[in-house]
Amino acid sequence: MKRLPHLFRSPEAIAGALILALLAAMALAAPLLFPGDPQAIAGPALLPPFQDWSLPLGTDRLGRDVLAELFHGARTSLAVGLAAAAAALLIGALVGTLAGFAGGLVDEVLMRITDAFQTVPSFLLALAFVSIVGPSLGVVVAAIALSAWTGPARVARAEVLSIRERDYVAGARVIGMHPLEIAFREVLPNALPPVLALSSVIVAAAILTEAALSFLGLGDPNRVTWGGMIAEGRTVLRTAPFLSIVPGVALVLTVLGVYLAGEGVVESTAMRRSLS
Amino acid sequence: MSLLTVSNLAKRYDSGGKPFAAVDDLSFEINPAETLALAGPSGSGKSTIARLVLRLIQPDAGRIDFEGSDFLALTGAALRARRARLQMVFQDPLAAFNPRATVARVLDDPLRIHGIASRAERPRRVAALLERVGLNAGLAARAIHEISGGQRQRVAIARAIATKPSLIVLDEAVSALDVSVRGQILELLIDLQRQERIAYLFISHDLGVIRAVAHRVVLLDAGRIAESGDARAVIANPQSAIGKALVAAAPRLTRNRP
Repeated sequence: MKRLPHLFRSPEAIAGALILALLAAMALAAPLLFPGDPQAIAGPALLPPFQDWSLPLGTDRLGRDVLAELFHGARTSLAVGLAAAAAALLIGALVGTLAGFAGGLVDEVLMRITDAFQTVPSFLLALAFVSIVGPSLGVVVAAIALSAWTGPARVARAEVLSIRERDYVAGARVIGMHPLEIAFREVLPNALPPVLALSSVIVAAAILTEAALSFLGLGDPNRVTWGGMIAEGRTVLRTAPFLSIVPGVALVLTVLGVYLAGEGVVESTAMRRSLS
Repeated sequence: MSLLTVSNLAKRYDSGGKPFAAVDDLSFEINPAETLALAGPSGSGKSTIARLVLRLIQPDAGRIDFEGSDFLALTGAALRARRARLQMVFQDPLAAFNPRATVARVLDDPLRIHGIASRAERPRRVAALLERVGLNAGLAARAIHEISGGQRQRVAIARAIATKPSLIVLDEAVSALDVSVRGQILELLIDLQRQERIAYLFISHDLGVIRAVAHRVVLLDAGRIAESGDARAVIANPQSAIGKALVAAAPRLTRNRP
C-alpha cells in the first residue's frame, strides 16, 4: 500500500475515496440494516422525508421505504458499475493485446470490429441489447460492457504496439516462449497501467448507463435501482419531488466520487512513474 | 563441419519509399567453439544480421544452416524447440528483461519452456546458473531493476547458457558496460567457451575488444563484407578502406606511430 500516501495528497482524491467508502459501506450494510424486501410496503404512501423517524426519507407512491430502497439501490449501482467496467476492461485488454501483438490480418479484423462497435452510439447499443435479450442484472452488465470495451481495446493496442518492439520481447522469443505467453505474460502486464487509468471513466459511465436503462424500464425488475426510483418518482414529480431528488443526488455523488478517486489514483501512479 | 552457415543472405528495408539493402548477399560461417566477430560502422547491418540469424526477422533471400539443418525452414513449435541451441545476449541489459521480472523468473523461464528441469528441481538449477556466471545464488529473489548493470549482463549470460546452446549471438553485449566490468564479462565469456564449447557471433564496433576475444573477424560496410580473416591479422593490417578507417578510429590500436 505504498500508493496510499500519494493518493491522499490531493483533497479531491480524499473526497472521492470517502464518498466511495460511504457508498461501499451502504451497499454492504443494506441487508443488515434493512433485512426485509426493500420493495415491500412499509408504511403510508407518499410520506415526506423527516416526518416519521422510523422512515427517515419517507415512502414512495406504494408506501415503500425510500431509505431502504436507496441502500439496496447502492448495491445494484456498485455491482453493475464494477462488474461492467471489469468486463469491459478485460475484453478490451484481451482484444487490444491480441490485435497489437499479432498484427496483420488479425489486427485488421479485430480493429474493424472495434470500429463497428464504436460507430454505434453506446447507449443505443446497450438499449437494443437489453430489449432483445430481456432485462436481468447479467444482461445489463453485458450490455454496458459491450458498449464500453472499445476504449480500453484501443489504448491497450497502442501500448502493445510500442512494447512489442522492445528488446525483452525479442528476448522472450529467443528463449522459445510461445507467442500467446509472450503476449499475455510479458506484454499485457506492462501495457495495463494506461488501460486501467480508463477504469474510473468507465465505472462512472456504467453506473449512469444502468440508471438510464432502469429509468426507461429496462433494468432488472426484481432489483431496486436508483434509475428505477427516479422513474417511479417522475409521475409525482410536482407533489413529491424528493422521490426523484434523493436517488438523483445519490447518483451524482457516486459518479463524482468515482471520478475524483480515479483521478487521484491516475495522478499518484503518474507521480510514481515520474519519480522512478 | 561448420556450426552455422549463412549463404547469400539479403534483407531490404523501405526507407521513404526507396528500398535500402541492410544486408546484401552476405555469406559467412562459424565453427563449433569459435568466436566470429562482426564489426563495422553504425548502419553497416550488424544488428540486422543478428536478428536474421536468430529468426527475429525474416530474410528476403538466402539460406541459414544451423547444426546441419535448414534453420529457415523451421516454424512454430519446431522453431521454438530449436531456439534452445541458439541464444542471444543484448546490448542494454536493462531493456533485455521484462521490467517486472525477478532474476529467478528470468532464469526459470528457459528451463521451464524447454522442459530442462522439473518444477521442484528448477530453483536449484537457477542457483547453479547464477554461480556459474559468478553471481551469488541469493540474488535470485531480487528484481531485475534492483541489481547493477554488470550483474544484469551476467544474468543475461546465465539465461543464454541455461538451455545449453551451441551458439550465442552477442549483440554489442559489452558496449554498455564500464571498462572494469567489461573485462570481467569478457573473461567469463572466454571461460564459458572453453568449458562448454560454445561458439559466439560477437557483434561489436570496438576493435580492441574484438582482438581480445575473436578468432576471426568479418568487417562490414553497408551490408556487405568488406574484409574478413584472422582477427589479429586483419586488425594489424587492414586491406579495405573501411578496415583502415575502423582501425584508425580506435586510438589504442595505432601503436607504432612515428
